[in-house]
Amino acid sequence: MNAPAVKSYRGLVAILAATLAFAALPLFQPSPFLESFLYLLFFWIALATSWTILSGFTGYVSFGHGAFYGAGVYATANLGAHAPLWVCLLAGGLIAAVLGGAVGFVVFRVRRLRGELFALLTLALAIVLATIILNTPIDGGPGVSLMGVRLPRIYANPSSTIYLLGALVAMGSLATAWLVQYSSFGRGLFAISDDEDVAEILGVPTLGFKVAALALSSFLAGVAGAVHALFVSYVTVGETFSITVPLFVLLMSVLGGARHWLGPAIGAIFVTTLTNALVGGDWALAARALIGVTLIVATLYLPEGVIGFLAHRFRARAKPALAAAPIVEPAPEVGPKRPIGDVLLQCDDVHLAFRGVRALNGVTLEVREGEILGLVGPNGSGKSTLINVISGFYRPDAGRLVFAGSDVTADAGHRRARRGIARTFQIPRPFNRLSVLDNVVVAGQFGARGLDHGAALAQAQEWLSFVGLDARAQALPKELNLHQRKFLELARALASGARLIMLDEVLAGLTPAEITTAIDMVRKIHASGATIIFVEHNMRAVLALTDRLVVLNQGQIIAQGDPRAVMQDPLVISAYLGDADAHP
Amino acid sequence: MASGNNLISQPSRRDLLAMALAAGASTTAMGQTSGPPVRVGGTLSLTGPLAATGAIHKIVGDLFVQEANKKQGMLGRPIEWVLLDDQSKPDLARTLYERLITVDKVDLLIGPYATANILSAMSVAQRYNKVLVHSTFGIPKLATYDRHFPGWPIGFSPEDTVSNMALDGILSTGKQVKTFAVVTSKFPSVQFLAVGARDVFKKRGLTENLYLEFEFGARDFGPIAARVREANPDILYMGAIGLEGNQLLEALEKINYTPKNHMYVYPSPGQLAQSPLGKDALSLTIYEDLPPFSDNPEAATFARLYREAATKAGFPFVDPETQAGAGYSSWQILTGAVNATKSLNDDVLTAHLKKNGAETIIGKVRFDGPQNYGDDLMRLKQVQDGKWAIVWPKQVATPGKTIIIK
Amino acid sequence: MSVTLLGQSILSGIFSGSLYALLGLGLTLSWRYLKIINLAHFAFIFLAAYLTYQLAGPGGLPPLLVIALVAPLFFVMGYAQQAFLEHFKVDEFASIIITFGMTILAETFIQWIWSADFVRLETHFLRGSWELGPFFLPKQEMLMSAAALALCLVTAAFLRFTWIGKALRAGLDNPQIAASFGVPNKKLSLLIAGIAGALAGVGGAFMALLFTLAPSQIYSWFGVVLAAVLLGRVGSATGVFAAGLLIGVSEAITMAVTAPAWAPLAPFTLLILILVFWPERV
Repeated sequence: MNAPAVKSYRGLVAILAATLAFAALPLFQPSPFLESFLYLLFFWIALATSWTILSGFTGYVSFGHGAFYGAGVYATANLGAHAPLWVCLLAGGLIAAVLGGAVGFVVFRVRRLRGELFALLTLALAIVLATIILNTPIDGGPGVSLMGVRLPRIYANPSSTIYLLGALVAMGSLATAWLVQYSSFGRGLFAISDDEDVAEILGVPTLGFKVAALALSSFLAGVAGAVHALFVSYVTVGETFSITVPLFVLLMSVLGGARHWLGPAIGAIFVTTLTNALVGGDWALAARALIGVTLIVATLYLPEGVIGFLAHRFRARAKPALAAAPIVEPAPEVGPKRPIGDVLLQCDDVHLAFRGVRALNGVTLEVREGEILGLVGPNGSGKSTLINVISGFYRPDAGRLVFAGSDVTADAGHRRARRGIARTFQIPRPFNRLSVLDNVVVAGQFGARGLDHGAALAQAQEWLSFVGLDARAQALPKELNLHQRKFLELARALASGARLIMLDEVLAGLTPAEITTAIDMVRKIHASGATIIFVEHNMRAVLALTDRLVVLNQGQIIAQGDPRAVMQDPLVISAYLGDADAHP
Repeated sequence: MASGNNLISQPSRRDLLAMALAAGASTTAMGQTSGPPVRVGGTLSLTGPLAATGAIHKIVGDLFVQEANKKQGMLGRPIEWVLLDDQSKPDLARTLYERLITVDKVDLLIGPYATANILSAMSVAQRYNKVLVHSTFGIPKLATYDRHFPGWPIGFSPEDTVSNMALDGILSTGKQVKTFAVVTSKFPSVQFLAVGARDVFKKRGLTENLYLEFEFGARDFGPIAARVREANPDILYMGAIGLEGNQLLEALEKINYTPKNHMYVYPSPGQLAQSPLGKDALSLTIYEDLPPFSDNPEAATFARLYREAATKAGFPFVDPETQAGAGYSSWQILTGAVNATKSLNDDVLTAHLKKNGAETIIGKVRFDGPQNYGDDLMRLKQVQDGKWAIVWPKQVATPGKTIIIK
Repeated sequence: MSVTLLGQSILSGIFSGSLYALLGLGLTLSWRYLKIINLAHFAFIFLAAYLTYQLAGPGGLPPLLVIALVAPLFFVMGYAQQAFLEHFKVDEFASIIITFGMTILAETFIQWIWSADFVRLETHFLRGSWELGPFFLPKQEMLMSAAALALCLVTAAFLRFTWIGKALRAGLDNPQIAASFGVPNKKLSLLIAGIAGALAGVGGAFMALLFTLAPSQIYSWFGVVLAAVLLGRVGSATGVFAAGLLIGVSEAITMAVTAPAWAPLAPFTLLILILVFWPERV
């Protein structure tokens, strides 16, 4: 499910039109049953859509949606008799959002929280909240009746007010989901869902985005709950916090397609219509069995949801002609060396240990503006760790990192990306469910350039042609070969507008012919103005490309200087002895 | 699943037959009546957590309609019951009542059972000024609509009247009952009555040894049992829905404790009577297939037919009691009012019912008190020799049975 | 509050905790090794429980014999379910919906055969309790807890020490490489599914022995058992047992010292605290 290449407001316009149509419906005095049924649709659309803003977009599955919804239900149940309606709805949403935001802030700080733990946590939250409400005057056990709540009368029939509120909440949720999906926020969430670490390193503020998504999702669920309390008019803990709410929300979203703003609504309409259609008293059991069968069959034949199915149909029709292999103009064999400037990155006595193993043991290093610095060393010498420390993935135990004159030691990965640090991965880590183009757009939006969507899109296309992937812009990364995926990594690093690009073994796994084009590409990148740290085992390439060479061994720098001189250093030779990968 | 189903195909055929028969009952049997049917719409929880009780009401309704249509039906026309399954969900119940009124255009409503679903139905009925007769509604003060008529006559303040009635019965023996323990599920209507019982017991001088509330759906009764054992009250009052009473008794048995005297509100009656642990257990009822109720020929017929149908449907317990009685009385109230007034008009029916009440198999029901509640017709029953017997008040006690208090 | 009350409550918590573990064991295996979040596991448990009720109650068979019959039957059920899911290449997300659909079907089936009303297996098998000082040890619960502990330990040992267990873990990391070393991934997953099914069968038999059954109760076990599975770390047989005990005992202590209605608060607050402050241990 990719964002469209060109931003189109069709979806939003459709939502707006639907809102107006639904709001006008009571004027035609439809059957109250229709209103009541539509209300139920709206309710589930709102809940499922709100769920998907967090769980569908980021991949963190919440089992605790009942908690946020329940907070809204009990807000109205307790305030309904004393406060105007809008206060109840706002309070329901805010209480839920604060609850969700607080939970998110606490749990998402846990580094690489496993998805299932998040699910468990939200499940536990719902149970704890239900227990508290059950045992305090918020409910206390006998349930809360809302028969006394006065509803503002908007149309002839007072119950139309509830219908209207339901319509507004549902359409509001859809519009929110639409806005999120096509904003840089949403692109960041999708990136998080595919590869959170890479997203952070490309500049997506993952913690903030996740907390915000959870709070937004909870807010919408809270408002939906606040309206639903009016509809059921007698709320009990057992009913409100039953496992069916989070379960059905999940079912609907997945059935419809959880990575698209419209998917959950489709699922909600499908499931709600099904359960409402099958209510005949004489065949109640058979009807229930039919619901079970339908869920199974629908899931088997629509594994990516209805939206996924439709998208496949669409993609299949729009499949481009077989894309040509990337052709790179060979750069001049010996390019004019760019002048080496000031210190861009300074690593000062950097230490890092994992469970007692010293991965970096006092690394002090300068990278100068405009140079290509080679970083070599045997396997396990600390090259990757150093890159991870520079990009902000690991925080050093001791030492200091200064980038372009600012101390970045305490900065999170996304802040460093904003400052202009980018990297590629030895084994490419594209966002697998974003198109090739969108992969590059994310880097443009969140990286040092911080472009708006239109500019990021335009530049992304340019960078794709730069690396020769323009013909595959709409493909998914899994459709690319290794060579192409490595070039996609390069395009992402370039699009971010980084001043410092760290290339982690870009040549590994490539054929000799591909290596030649890759070396040319690195030259072109350098020529475009970036400073490069080039980590490589292929010594031919290292000698061909680098201005200066740093050799790491056991977490320490054992030599640095002119590449050819360094390679003669006895210490370096002894470090490499026995390391079969290193053939100068 | 596919492989599992055919492994157990033997009993399913029997039930297929039973289902076919049960389903047929509601659509066939148009006897002495003629003309277009009077359509009576309602929902029941036929699936989901409340389905056990829903099945009872389904049988009762089917039987009533079948028998009524052999006589004069409503206004000489056959009764057609438009029944929908609310799947134990109050929000769905609300939508379905809207549908019954505005799409199916039924002539009359018959309410569901259980407090939450009845409230859902009531709010819809209120908007259309429709008469709503319903069965087991547990918290009378919540029923504020002036055209609702409870088929389960428990008075306006059962928390007070029912508890006093029960305590009257318990103290009538003159035995030393000085201390009590209340253990209750937080199921709304159950907890509501338990809190009332607690107040009444205290007010009348009993000492409270223990008061516990547990979550509805609790699984582990061990710690509760241990606390009851330690409190060792003269009477244990258990607010229990469904099988919670049995579960507590089993947990008590495992720590070798038998309560001195024990009372349950509202247990699954059959399972409590059938269990050896249920000996001398007290509970509440408004209807049993026992004299004096069974002296009424209509009640006797109903009880016989109910047992047959329940057996066919594979119920583990086939005797009609409170739920069945309240369901049947609801139908009687509605049908009686229609036939007495010769009208389907909700204004007429309301006026008639408020003025005259109704004769039902559970006795004379009146609606002239606050919020259309009348007399509290609750009685105390007790498991004696593995069967329920009504033991209090004396004038309705099963002949030859008196309350046993230790 | 007396020591006896506290002790008896803790015992009670150990029993319920063991049951959570017994019910969660099969679930944790299929989640980790098959990537199937099998909500139908609960349906299997209840089908097995009703079958046990039918055979040991009205059928009059001895409960232990019934367990011996039910376990292999549900091995076949689990096997067949997995064959079905594999045929359609169902992923983790979709497995939730599909197995939920299966659960609805099973619930319907149960209600059709046995009605929606409660059923209770009345048996004299291991009725009553042993007495140990002031404490009572109910025989049925003791047997169930022993079975839960034994099954968790045997499963853990099986996964850790046997060739099959090692192959399973290898297959998890990299199915293609494992396959090239001759690991029969498909057969192994069917085996695991069968074992998970058989465990559901055993769990169901004990469920029938200890509890009253109603079709809609299938869903009431979801929360607590999923919590035990997750807290114990998905895939860990000993973990699910420890987590089950933690939940059961903390619930029971809460019930003994405060209002029982607060019972869920203790384990789940504990759980939240563990997750927040000690996530790497889970």
